Amino acid sequence: MKTQLTNIKSNIIGELKKIAGKSNVLTEYEDRYCYAYDATAIGEDLYLPDAVILPENKHQISEILKIANENKIPVITRGAGTNLVGGCIPLKGGIILHTSKMNRIINIDKTNLQCTVEPGVSVEKLQQEVEKQGLFYPPDPASLKVSTIGGSIAQSSGGPRGFKYGTTKDYVLGLEAVLADGSIIKTGGKTVKNVTGYNLNQLLTGSEGTLGVITLATLRLIPKPEERQVLLACFESIDEAAKAVTEIISAKITPSTLDIMDKNTMQTIEKFHQTGLPTDMDAVLVLEVDGFKESVPVQAGRIMDICRASGAKNIRISRSRQEADEIWFARRSAFGAVARLNPNVLTEDAVVPLDKIPDMVREIRRITDKYSLTVCIMGHIGDGNIHPNFSLDLRDKDQAKRFEQAAEEIFNAAIFFGGTLSGEHGIGYSKSAFINKALGPKNIELMKAIKNTFDPNGILNPDKIFARN
Amino acid sequence: MKKLEDYSEDIYKCTKCGFCQAACPVFQETGLETAVSRGKFTLLHGILSGKVDFSEKIAKYLDMCLGCKACYDFCPSGISAEEIITAARAENNKINGINFLKKFIIWCFKSNIRLKALKTALTVYKKTGLIHLTGKIAGILGRWGNLIKIFNLQLNQNIEYTKLSAVKEKKEMKVVYFPGCIGNYVNISAKNAVIMVLEKNGVEVYIPDNFSCCGISSRSAGDFDTFKKLAEKNISLIPDDIDYLLTDCASCGSAWEFYPDLFEGELKNKAFRLYEKAVNINKFLETIDVYIPENVELKQVVTYHDPCHLARFQHVSEEPRSLLRKIPGLVYREMHGADKCCGAAGTFCVVKPGISQAISASKAKNILDTDADLVSTSCSACKIGISQGLAGMNAEKQILSPVELLAKLYILEENIDFAKNELKRN
Repeated sequence: MKTQLTNIKSNIIGELKKIAGKSNVLTEYEDRYCYAYDATAIGEDLYLPDAVILPENKHQISEILKIANENKIPVITRGAGTNLVGGCIPLKGGIILHTSKMNRIINIDKTNLQCTVEPGVSVEKLQQEVEKQGLFYPPDPASLKVSTIGGSIAQSSGGPRGFKYGTTKDYVLGLEAVLADGSIIKTGGKTVKNVTGYNLNQLLTGSEGTLGVITLATLRLIPKPEERQVLLACFESIDEAAKAVTEIISAKITPSTLDIMDKNTMQTIEKFHQTGLPTDMDAVLVLEVDGFKESVPVQAGRIMDICRASGAKNIRISRSRQEADEIWFARRSAFGAVARLNPNVLTEDAVVPLDKIPDMVREIRRITDKYSLTVCIMGHIGDGNIHPNFSLDLRDKDQAKRFEQAAEEIFNAAIFFGGTLSGEHGIGYSKSAFINKALGPKNIELMKAIKNTFDPNGILNPDKIFARN
Repeated sequence: MKKLEDYSEDIYKCTKCGFCQAACPVFQETGLETAVSRGKFTLLHGILSGKVDFSEKIAKYLDMCLGCKACYDFCPSGISAEEIITAARAENNKINGINFLKKFIIWCFKSNIRLKALKTALTVYKKTGLIHLTGKIAGILGRWGNLIKIFNLQLNQNIEYTKLSAVKEKKEMKVVYFPGCIGNYVNISAKNAVIMVLEKNGVEVYIPDNFSCCGISSRSAGDFDTFKKLAEKNISLIPDDIDYLLTDCASCGSAWEFYPDLFEGELKNKAFRLYEKAVNINKFLETIDVYIPENVELKQVVTYHDPCHLARFQHVSEEPRSLLRKIPGLVYREMHGADKCCGAAGTFCVVKPGISQAISASKAKNILDTDADLVSTSCSACKIGISQGLAGMNAEKQILSPVELLAKLYILEENIDFAKNELKRN
C-alpha cells in the first residue's frame, strides 16, 4: 500500500467538513496527489497536501483559517495552478484552498469603469465579459485562458501588454482578504485616487499568498481600444532588434506590445506549426499598436520606418483581424513548441534595463552553451523582461544539475546588469534561494517583519519567497 | 491495441500547464483538479512509477472524462487524453473489473437480437397507441415526463421510407452505408433519410445484413475484447472493392478510425483500407453536388450541435452547416459553444448522471438562447444528450440530422408534384 494518510487529526477534518461541506473537503490520497504540483517542473519530488478544500465563500475561508491558525496547519491558496515558480506547491503539507467554486463576476460598473469579481474567475472570462460592454482589462498573462484573477493578483502577473498598460498591480483598486487569524479585511476601495494610509492593496498584490487569502477584488477597467494592428519585424541580429526597440521608445511611440523571439524559438515553432516565421533571421519583434482607428496606421507607419532604418530585413503587417491572429498564433505557439521538444520546460523570468537586453541575451546564450542546454529565448523586450525557455528532461539528473547551475548564473547576470530575478512570475520556491542576492539584508528584514505581523504563526504559504535556512 | 504502459512517455510529457481546465466540460461543472487531464496524467504517472495504487478511486476519476477531445486542441504538448484514458480504463477493467452499468449497456448493444427486440418494442409502443397514453401522463412525471415528451415527439417525426424518383443519373460508384446500431435497429428514421437522399441523387447504396453495433461505447469503457469482436464482424461484412463507406452517426464514423489498431496482418490492412474509404454523409453530399429542390421550403429556424466524434475526431463541422444553409426557407442560427459536448458521451450519462445532466443543461441553454425551432445534429448519442438537457429545462424541440431535414424537403416536393399531377388528371 503506497497510500499516505493525512496528517491532520480526524476531529479537525470533521470540523473542516462542517464548515465547507463534506463534498468540498478532500482527504483521500488520490485527491491530494492531484494537488501536489503546479505548472513548475519539479521532477519526481512529491509534496502532498493533507487536505484540499473547495471553499464557497469568505466566511468559510475565515473559519478554516481560524482552525488552521490555532493548529498551526499550513494553508496554500490555489487558483488554476499555473504558477511557474512552485508557488502553489504545499512544501510543508497542510490545506490547499482551491478557489474554483468562487468564480462569479459580481458586477461590471460601466459608469465608474470598474468591476468586482471573486478570485476564481479566469482572466479570459473577465476580459470577454467586460469587452461585451466596450471595456478592457489589459493584463494578459500567457495562461489567461485558465489563470484566475485571485492568482493574478497574488502574483501580480504581467503579460505582453504590460509595456503600454502596466500589469495586474496597476488595476487593483480594492481587495477583500482573509488574514491568517481569520479576520476579514478590506483594503483600497472603489476610487482610483486613494492615499489614505499605507497602501495595503499593493502590499497584498504580489504577496504570493503569504499574507492573506484574497476573496474579492475590485478592478479598474479602461475603454476598449477601437482598433489594433500587429507587425512582425525580422532582424539579422538581436542588436538591431534591440536598437529598433530603443528607437521606437525614443520616438515617443507606445506600442501595446513589444515582444521578441529568437532564432531558436522560431525554428522550434516551425518544426511543429507552419506559421511562416523567418527561421534564417536571428530575431523577430512582434509589435502591436492600438487606439483610435485613425491613430493606428500612423503608429504602424512610424514603427515600420524605424524598424527599416534599424536594419529590419522584412516587415509583415496585419491587414485584417485574421492576419493579426495568425501572427499572434505564431507567438503564442512558442511555449507549446518548446514543450514538444522535450518532456519538461522551465521558463525563467529575469528582467533587465532595456539597454542591457542585447548583453543579457548574449550572456544567456553563453551560459546555456557552457552547460550544453537547449534554450529558446522569447519575452517582452519592451519591459526588459526575458523568458529563456529551457527544454529538458529532468529524469536526466546530470542535465537537471546543469540547468540549476545555468539558472543561478543567469540570475547573477540579471543582477549584474542592474535587473532582478523576476519580472512577472514571482519568487515562490524556485527562486527563494536567490532572493538575498537581489535584495539587501535590511529589505529582507523589513519584509519578514511584515510577514510576521500578518501571519505570526507562518501558516500562509510557508517557505515561499524567503530563502529557507 | 496500445496498453497504458505504452503511453508512459506521453503521460510524462504533460508540462502541467493546466490549459486543459479551459476546455474540460467536466472541470467546469466540478471544479476538481482530478477531473481534468492534468490531474489524470499525474495519477497515471504515479501508477506507472509505482507511487499510486490502481485503486477503485482511480477508476472513479477515469470515469470523469467524456472523451470529447476538447482538451486536445488546448494541449501545448499535443497529448491525446482520450486515447490514454481509454487505455487506462482497459487496464482498470483487468484490475478492478468493469462497472456493472457499463457492462449492462455493452451487453445490450453487442447483440443484434437484443437491439431488434428494442426496435420491436418501439414499434409496438407507437402502433398500439401506448405513445398517446404516456403523452397524457407525461405532464405529471416531472423531468422524466419531459424526457418522454421529447421521446414521443421524436418518434412522431420519424421518417418512413418511401422510394423517391431519382433526379440524377445513376452514379457509377460502389457505396456501402453503415447505419450503426441505433440507425439500423432502434430508430431507423435517420437511416431511412440517408437511403432516400442517396437514391434521389442517383447513388445506389448497399447495406449488408446483420451489421453489428460499431462498438464505440465498449471501446470508451475499455472493453477492447467486445470492441474487437464487433469490429471484426463489421469489417468482414463489407466487400473489399467499394468506393465509399458512408456513415451518418458521428460515433459510428469515428469507430472506423480505431478499427485498424485492433488487428494485425490482412485484417488490419482491410480495416485500414475501409477507414480510408469512410466518409461522413454530410461531407459526401458536398462532393456530389446534392440536389436541392427550389419549389418547396422548410420555414423554420435551426441551430446545429457539433458531435465531438464528428467535429474533433473526423474534422467535419462546416459541411453539415452548409447543407442546412442550402435548404430553402430554413434559417440557420449558430449557438454559443456549438462544439461543446452534449453531456451524453456514451456510457458517461449512465455512470455519472449528475455531471452529465449539468453539461446537457448548459448545452440546452445555448440552444434555447438561439430561439431556434429545431436542433440539428448528426449523431444518435448526441440526440440523447440534447433531449436530456432540453427535458431538464422543460423545453420541447425536435432533433433531426441535416440529412433527415433534407429528406423531409424531398418528401414535401414529391407530395406537391403528386398533388399537381392529380390535379392535371382530374
